[in-house]
Amino acid sequence: MRRNPARFQEEKDFHAKDMKLWKGLFPYILPQWRGLSLAIVLSFIVTATSLAIPRLVQVGMDDHILNESLSVAERFQGLSLVAAVFLGVILVGFVTNFFQVVTLEWTGQRIMHALRQGLFQHVVKLDLSFFQNQPVGRLVTRLTNDIQNMYEMFTSVIVTLFNDGVRLVGILAIMFWMNWRLSLVLCAIFPILFVITVVFGRLSRDAFRRIRTHLAEINSYVQETIWGMSVIQIFLREREAHREFRKLNDRYYDSAMYQVKIFGIFMPVIEVMSSVAMALIIWYGGGEIIRQHMTLGELTAFISYIRLFFQPLRELSQKYSIVQSALASAERIFQLLETKDRLPVAEHPLKDFPVRGDIRFENVSFRYAEEHPVLRQVSFHVAPGKTLAIVGATGSGKTTIINLLERFYDPWEGRITIDGVDLRTMDEHWLRDLVGLVMQEVFIIPGTIRENILLDGKLEGLDLESILELSQLNSLLKHLPEGLETRVGEGGMDLSAGEKQLLAFARVLARNPRILVLDEATANVDTETEMLIERAIQAALSSRTSLVIAHRLSTIRRADRILVLDQGRIVEEGTHEDLMRLNGVYHHLQSLHDGKGLRLSGGGPEESSP
Amino acid sequence: MSHSKGGQTPSGENPERAGHEESTHKESPWRSFHLAIPYFKKHWRRLALGFFCLMVVDTLQLIIPRIIKHAVDSLQTGTATTETLLFYGGWIVLIAVFIALLRYFWRVFLLGFSRIMETDLRNRMVSHLLTLDRAFYQRRTPGEVMALTTNDLSSVQLATGMGLVAMVDALFMGLAAIAFMAYISPTLTLIAIAPMPILALLTRVLSGHLHRRFRKVQEQFSHMTEFVRSTFSSIRLVKAYNQESSQESRFDELGQAYVRDNLRLAGIHGTLFPISGFIGNLSMLLVLFYGGRMTILGTITVGDFVAFIAYLFLMTWPMMALGWVTNLFQRGVTSLSRIQTLLEEKPIVETREDLPGTFYPPSGLRGEIRMENLSFVFPGHKRPALRDISLQISPGTFLGVVGRTGSGKTTLCHLLARLYPVQDGALYLDGLDVNDLPLSAVRGALAYVPQEVILFSSTIAHNIAMGKKDAGREEIEAVARAASIHDEIMAMQEGYDTRIGEKGVNLSGGQRQRIAIARALLLERPIIIIDDGLSAVDMETEHAIIRSIANYLSGRTCIVVSHRVAPLADAHEIMVLEEGKVVEVGSHEQLLERGGFYANIHRQQTSGG
Repeated sequence: MRRNPARFQEEKDFHAKDMKLWKGLFPYILPQWRGLSLAIVLSFIVTATSLAIPRLVQVGMDDHILNESLSVAERFQGLSLVAAVFLGVILVGFVTNFFQVVTLEWTGQRIMHALRQGLFQHVVKLDLSFFQNQPVGRLVTRLTNDIQNMYEMFTSVIVTLFNDGVRLVGILAIMFWMNWRLSLVLCAIFPILFVITVVFGRLSRDAFRRIRTHLAEINSYVQETIWGMSVIQIFLREREAHREFRKLNDRYYDSAMYQVKIFGIFMPVIEVMSSVAMALIIWYGGGEIIRQHMTLGELTAFISYIRLFFQPLRELSQKYSIVQSALASAERIFQLLETKDRLPVAEHPLKDFPVRGDIRFENVSFRYAEEHPVLRQVSFHVAPGKTLAIVGATGSGKTTIINLLERFYDPWEGRITIDGVDLRTMDEHWLRDLVGLVMQEVFIIPGTIRENILLDGKLEGLDLESILELSQLNSLLKHLPEGLETRVGEGGMDLSAGEKQLLAFARVLARNPRILVLDEATANVDTETEMLIERAIQAALSSRTSLVIAHRLSTIRRADRILVLDQGRIVEEGTHEDLMRLNGVYHHLQSLHDGKGLRLSGGGPEESSP
Repeated sequence: MSHSKGGQTPSGENPERAGHEESTHKESPWRSFHLAIPYFKKHWRRLALGFFCLMVVDTLQLIIPRIIKHAVDSLQTGTATTETLLFYGGWIVLIAVFIALLRYFWRVFLLGFSRIMETDLRNRMVSHLLTLDRAFYQRRTPGEVMALTTNDLSSVQLATGMGLVAMVDALFMGLAAIAFMAYISPTLTLIAIAPMPILALLTRVLSGHLHRRFRKVQEQFSHMTEFVRSTFSSIRLVKAYNQESSQESRFDELGQAYVRDNLRLAGIHGTLFPISGFIGNLSMLLVLFYGGRMTILGTITVGDFVAFIAYLFLMTWPMMALGWVTNLFQRGVTSLSRIQTLLEEKPIVETREDLPGTFYPPSGLRGEIRMENLSFVFPGHKRPALRDISLQISPGTFLGVVGRTGSGKTTLCHLLARLYPVQDGALYLDGLDVNDLPLSAVRGALAYVPQEVILFSSTIAHNIAMGKKDAGREEIEAVARAASIHDEIMAMQEGYDTRIGEKGVNLSGGQRQRIAIARALLLERPIIIIDDGLSAVDMETEHAIIRSIANYLSGRTCIVVSHRVAPLADAHEIMVLEEGKVVEVGSHEQLLERGGFYANIHRQQTSGG
């Protein structure tokens, strides 16, 4: 039958994959079984009431209106009774319908909330290696749009599929009960309907897939264009950009028209089938009446029921597209949920022991994934209370050292200890409380400045006043009418890069870590702010063991020791004076004084682009 | 505490924007419908044909119940035979096939129209976006603009596609059904349509609530989106501060609020949608009851009654559809008015492409700049950003511009690059007033490096060669050397082929800035303007890089802005700005000697370390 066996295979795989997805969704759907069953029960009632209506009309006609054996008064009375039942039925139908909508919303939203929350929990706990090459935009899409995409499937489709199935069976049952011969004749069109639906299903899936792909292309193109608009304009590339966009847009138009045509064939064909059924009823059913096997009322009811029967089939295409797009989203969501690359957890993680802050790297080598090594046999020691500055070009491994000290990754070889204890045997959260990190990028939670300084923790050591003093944040707060209670982040005040930086220092002072790590990339700030930051750094460094990726000459000179990294190896080590005397890499880096135009280091990773 | 550079740019746009939005809110969104009219005009043949097919379909559909009526009547009177029944059935199928054919055509014509309109509107929006200037992008976030080209456009498409079809169809079918019913029995028809006004009233009342609650839901959704974005973009810090579970509970709160808002919306949905079915059924009830009585009394025939019921069933769909269509149209028109607002945005700098561009190719320009009493006030601001700036820059000059944050340095650059129009005073390029030159000629004459660096997700080489696609590797390396970034690029594993951005290497702020400068140098324009393009490196480095650039550019006019003084020491001339005014002009030595403002900042900055 099928000309293309490969295609058949793909089809089968697809169904297998679909099954797997449904299985994955099951644990999220299950807790809401009460709501779902209620919705299904309610939908039965709604369906029953809508099915009862043609039947009531038929009973009204056959038993009362057309019943010549009864007197007019008796017929009126009977009709009133039918009308009363009718009213009752539609009222029940209306009320149940309302509750069904609300129950569905509740259930669907709960399922989505659970899925969203579950996904967020999962992703936020993943190691940094996962985030390494993961565009943030993609994660955001998974957690928002993709989950939203599944909503309609949870609500309309799951319940209506159930409902439609029961409805089709119910209609068939009633029709067979009324007149099985006519019903049997009607069944003749089923195989045709089945074939049409399957063929259409395949074509429309293809059409939807094309549309989705082209729309995604358009969206990302527009996004990049808007984002880079100033460059496009300055470089006078508007015409070229538009031409490129036009191509994408035309491709999208073609696929949209393809879909219009597919549906333009399918929908009318379904209607033809409905009319064929109608004609069969008139022809065969009429014959049945002539043969006295059937009443006129039954014929009328048959006509109504066959209309109801085709309704779900008309909506099929729409539901099909919902399910297709939901499953596409589900697939991506589960891919994410299946990502497991957590660092091994120690059996009895050590925590809460007194720490002096003695850091030791012993022959540490590291590589991200299968790439070339980033660190090779790095060993150094920072005594408690001392400051170590790390200098080197971009890609020399500076940030990796910090990542290892925070145990975002484990070293491939060698070990890292704090006070002689291997990081791998420590409680990971306790370790991160121990090590304070300040970098150029600052993450702001939507809330007040106070909440942003304290985060969820309590103050340790210093009181808030002195923290504000030391971090130089005071001067900012003075300008703000609501002081510490000023809201920042989304919907709140926008802080400048310099202000955020000071906030980060206040944050680290509030947590009073034994060890401080400073990824000191100079933000785009003016002189005054730079001076404030300078003071905040001094405050933060005092009496702590510190590891600094340094840019500022002042910080480098102040460090007790300087490490010069090149391609993952320590090439020089010593104080500023030692290294200058050495006349090596460090000296070369410093030679920018003489106008060679090299800078000390590449700096930390850049904050995500605007 | 001084604010970031962003603070200097017009926050004063806001009052203007607020006023703008208010005015669009006041006017009826239906006003924007005229945006759609040209499409209707242009494609009227297609539309007329489509609607003609649609109406023929509808009419034929109404004939089927008539055939059924005749069949039932003949069965009732006992005149029916198998042959006549086959005849009736045959007609039904024949008509159905014809209907199917016409249906295909109206779908392709009418739904196709909505796709044509969608595609063209999107084209217009993007080409319009390409003409809008800085003032616009300062006001609108990329997210907002994106939403217009995606969500809003698709709701316009839905409204002009299925929405339009359903409305015409529902109106036609509804009216025709009513007409047929009225033909059978006017009294019964009146009874049947009696409940409909209730529906209209309820829809009116509820749709306002629907709108408000829907907006609330959308807002909450965008809060969630932003929260997820900010969490994952700072994941290193979130982990370093052990904020995973706190973020989880914060996210949970947002999610709960979203669920709550949705439930409130469902309260309205839950009433609005079942109600139309209920009203339809109520009509059926009334017809059954009163029509039944009339049939019993013999006022109408049984066949009439059956046909009447059949027409009433036909009415159920248009009734449900009208509620749905109202909703679609509301959204479509709201979106159209948002798109309209975008298309009405005018760049405040006129392109003047009608004017002759005298110095094409741009290399024909000598690079002389003259400013005469240049003043500038941001729209909505009271205090001018620039006041009476006059300066003559002869070709080949290296001009340094210094000043504190907010002193007007960037605004001056924007005026030179014609990102803003010259309001007051005059600006001459090679003695020609820039207002009398086409925008593309001015932009083509100078290379401007703005403060914020935009690099694309591609290789470094590709980013540098953006303005000159056919540039060879040597040319690229030459400008990279001039911008002092070559050595660092070579130190990377894949050199110039290193991918940056998403899925690539993260560059430091300083590296990004220097790549942006290299990119501008490659353009080889007679004038280059660098606006604080090296703020992310330390002062000594900045000095060295600026020196290298100046050497590379020798002979071309070069304007370098910095908030630091020392790096500009080699400039031929330095202009010191303070509160939008030129306070001092001269060479480094002259200015230091003068002991004024410049000397003051110099002392401050060099002692700070």
